[in-house]
Order: sequence, then C-alpha cells, then structure tokens
Amino acid sequence: MIRGIYAVVVLDLKRAWLDRARLVTGLAQPLLYLFVLGAGLGSSSRMGGPGYQRFIFAGVVGLSLLFTAVFMAISIVFDRQIGFFKAVLVAPIPRAAIAFGKITSGAIQAFVQGVILLPFAPLVGVPLSLGSIGLALGAMALAAMTFSAIGVAVASRFTSTTVFPIVSNTIILPMYFLSGALYPLSTARPWMRIAAHFDPVAYAVDLMRGALLGEFFFPPALSLGVVIAVIAVLAASSVRVFNRGEDDSVLGAVSLRWRR
Amino acid sequence: MPAVASPTPAIEVRELVKRYGQVEALKGLDLTVQPGEIFGLLGPNGAGKTTLFSILATLRSPTTGTARVLGYDVTADRDRVRRAMGIVFQEPAIEQRLTGRDNLLLMGLFFGLPQAKARRRATELLDHLGLTEAADRPARTLSGGQRRKLELARALVTDPSILFLDEATLGLDVDARRVFWAEVRAMAAAGRTVFFTTHYMEEAEIADRIALIDTGRIVALDTPRALKARIGGGVIRLQTDDDAQARTWLAARGFTATDASPGLMVVDPDPAAVLPDMLRHLPVKVRRAEVHEPSLEDVFLGLTGKGLAGEDGAAPAPARGGGRP
Repeated sequence: MIRGIYAVVVLDLKRAWLDRARLVTGLAQPLLYLFVLGAGLGSSSRMGGPGYQRFIFAGVVGLSLLFTAVFMAISIVFDRQIGFFKAVLVAPIPRAAIAFGKITSGAIQAFVQGVILLPFAPLVGVPLSLGSIGLALGAMALAAMTFSAIGVAVASRFTSTTVFPIVSNTIILPMYFLSGALYPLSTARPWMRIAAHFDPVAYAVDLMRGALLGEFFFPPALSLGVVIAVIAVLAASSVRVFNRGEDDSVLGAVSLRWRR
Repeated sequence: MPAVASPTPAIEVRELVKRYGQVEALKGLDLTVQPGEIFGLLGPNGAGKTTLFSILATLRSPTTGTARVLGYDVTADRDRVRRAMGIVFQEPAIEQRLTGRDNLLLMGLFFGLPQAKARRRATELLDHLGLTEAADRPARTLSGGQRRKLELARALVTDPSILFLDEATLGLDVDARRVFWAEVRAMAAAGRTVFFTTHYMEEAEIADRIALIDTGRIVALDTPRALKARIGGGVIRLQTDDDAQARTWLAARGFTATDASPGLMVVDPDPAAVLPDMLRHLPVKVRRAEVHEPSLEDVFLGLTGKGLAGEDGAAPAPARGGGRP
C-alpha cells in the first residue's frame, strides 16, 4: 500500500516538475485577489484597506491551495484516457493506494503553491514569526489535504475532461465564497454564517487565519476535527469509487456518463 | 491419476463466458497454453480476442468459467497474476512526456521494487534493448519502433515469466516489426511464455501454436504448419465479373469455392494443374487469378467463411478502457 502511494506520488510529482512554470503563473491569481481586489474592496470596508488585506491573506492562500488541488485532481480524468494508466492498473497495488496517492500528490503540489505566497504576508501586514510560520505550515498542510480530498472525490466520478471543470466550478466556487475567506464570518448575514458551518473550506481557512493572526471564528479543536473527518470520509468515498465495478479496467468510472 | 505430475499450464481457461449486457463476447472458451510456449491468438475484430486478452491480463472479470495464469486465478489471485506477467498493450502505455528511463523507473515502483533496484533494472533493460541513447529524452520524441521497444521494456520491468502482447506491433514498419519480434523470440528462448494477438499473418507464423477465434469461440487450435495442412492443398484465388455464377459452375465440377470477398477461394491438391483448364472454361470473365500456398488467412476463411480483416464483422467489438457507449 505505502509503495503504491509512493509510486503514484512520484509519478505525479515527476509530471508536475515538467510543468514547474505553473508555480509562477499560479501566483498571478492569488496576488490579484490580494493586492487589487483586496485593496479595492478594502477601501470601502469597515476594516479599511490595510486591515482588509491583512484579513484576507489566509483566504487568498486558501484560494491558491483550493484551486491548485482541484486542478491537480483533474489529472485523474486525464489519466483514465491515457495508456500509461492502463499499465498502472495492472500493477499489483490496491486501488486504495491510487486514491490516497492522488490525494497526497495533489496536496503536495497545492502546498508548494501556497508556500510561495507566504513571503508576501508581511507586505499586507501579516507578521511572520517562526512560531506562526510553523503553525501556518501545519494548517496549510491540513487544508491542502482537505482540498485535494475534495478534488479527488469529485474527479474520481467523472470520465469527461470537458465536464469536470464545469462541475468543479459549481461545487468549488460556492464553497470558496461561503467559506469566509474574503469576508469575516462574524459580521456576515446569518444564513451565510449557517452555510459556513457546513463548508469544510471555512474550517480549513479559519485554521490558517488563526495560525497567522491568532483570530479564530470556529474553536480550533472543532476545525481540526472537521477537517480530519472530511479528509477521512472523502478519501474513503474515492476508494469506494475506484474499487467499484466488476471490471478493473475503468477505475470506477461507470455510473456517471455524460452525453454530448 | 497419472504418476508424473504435469507442469502447471501457463494459461488454463475453462468454459470461459463473458457477457457485456446482452452481448456474449466469449461463449464458453477452453484453452491451455504450456509454459515456454509462444502462443498466438488470431481472429477478426469483434471475435473476442481483446476480451479474452483483458480477462487473462486481469483487466476484466469472467462472467462465468475460470481463467488461470501460471496456476493463479485471474480474479481471486489477481495480484499474484499481476506480479508474474508483463503486458504490451495495443495503445501506448508509456507517459509520453516523461523520459524512457523515468517510465521504467516508475513501473518498477508500481510493482513494488525499491527505488535503487528499480533504477538499476531500468538501466539494464534500456541497455539490453539498445535504447540507452534514447533513454533520457521524453518518450514522445522517440521513433515508433523505439517506443514499442520501450513498451516491451516496460512489460519486462518485473522480469515476468509470462508476456502478453496485444497487437503489439500495430502501425510499425516491417523493419521495426522484425526487430521487435526478434526480441520477443529471445524472451521465449529464455523460458518465458508469450501469448499474443496480431493482425499480421506473417507474425503469427512465429507462434508454436495458434488458436483461431471467431464470435467468442475457438474454431481451430494447432501449430501453424498443421493448420495450413488442414486445408488439404494449394489455394486458388479468383476474381471474376460474376462470382456467384462462377461458384455455381465450379461446384458443378466438384470444386468447393468459398466466398472470399473480394473473389473466391478454391482449394485443390494440385492447383497449378487445374487452373489453366478452369480459366479456359469458366463461363464468366476472370479478372484476376492467383495460386499460392495456404496461409492462415485461407485457413480461417475456409473454417468460417470470412476473412481475418473482418471489417464487416457481425459482432460488435467489445469496448475497452472507459469508453463504452
């Protein structure tokens, strides 16, 4: 099992290394949110420009983690279509190792993308100390695992590369916007606050914000519990998808089929 | 009970049935392949070749019946089978963007080799197959022949005792095919069992034994020589302006003419002797006539009344991969 996970991760990271330019281009979107959207919205916010940017920093890291992780999960949809995966499917590794490996490799890539945002923290008034960096890295690792588990759980159910991005946007964007990444939940409308309680992204972002600023909306123990439970449940669900079907050749892609 | 235990067959298939919904792709197949044999599976598209192949390769499960590879059940002992076999698929199964070396290294990891051993094995195989110079370029930049060799190398990473080749040389030029099969023969000489499917008749000839498969059943199984001897003579291929009339005429004179669209196939112990007379007296215009030694294609045609190319194959081709409509 461990060897199988390791092999999947090595495969994905080797492929990611070929696309390392993406690390730089992947910076563009979060920096836009942070410095343009943040400055613009901030000036009309009660927190004021600098206060708002300081507040959304963790949310922007979350954005980067979430979208990288989900984008990486698309590789599952592509993999089903390329031959190499056929060779992988006849390797004597459990299907569960493929699911865990995919979640891990997506999380690693998201984590790296998130880490390169950290140096920008002091620019928006988020002070960095050794302690807060350590806590933030831990929270980011958990968040990356959560988002990657979400991505894999969704991607494992699709065989079409054209449909997956649409579907992931209808799931991922609302999750992101409801998470309180870009506004404080404490002053949000009641329905939004209620919705956030059902949104794993909210807990993950809150953990990261807490680690960086010491301000929590949810009790940290609750967030930790929720995030770990979400990872476990979604990983188990992906394993089930990968294992299903009488035939082993399709990696579970049996029930959802989109017709053009 | 025999006193001497016979060796475990490399492949043992009993009453194998595979259904896809309403379609019965395999209709109770029996097959035994001995260790060290080079065994070929021939048949038109839709005959059940790919289905049988996928089941043996543990990619699909039988509906009923059993299939064993090296004594291991393909469903119950799936991982054991997987550890013992190497497969070259019809479609490329290498990651085109990665180098050949990385591809082999990764396969080693997927089969549970430690990193250092996987690396060593990759180097060994690249060297053995003459791919060392191309090893560190992205696989997509290699020539077709090199890529196929890389596929073979990938299948050999685990030092398998049985090798499955599914249309492994499709699309290669004659030279590259010759090189590829020379390697395969060397594998077999080293004691590996080779089980392959192919569309190229001359490739099938290297098999120790061949099974001809049609609509989910084995219609003949023998050595290539014995199969061709079955036809009982030489072959005349005729193309005329009116094949139906020619056929009636031939039948009236004691010849058996099989529809070989295009044209007719006539078998005779001494075709060269009867052909001149035939041409002179046939009541229809002959556009083309040709005499040749029987080929496996002729054998198949004689048995099933259809060619191996089988564009007009009646049974739908079984879906593979994820793309079933």
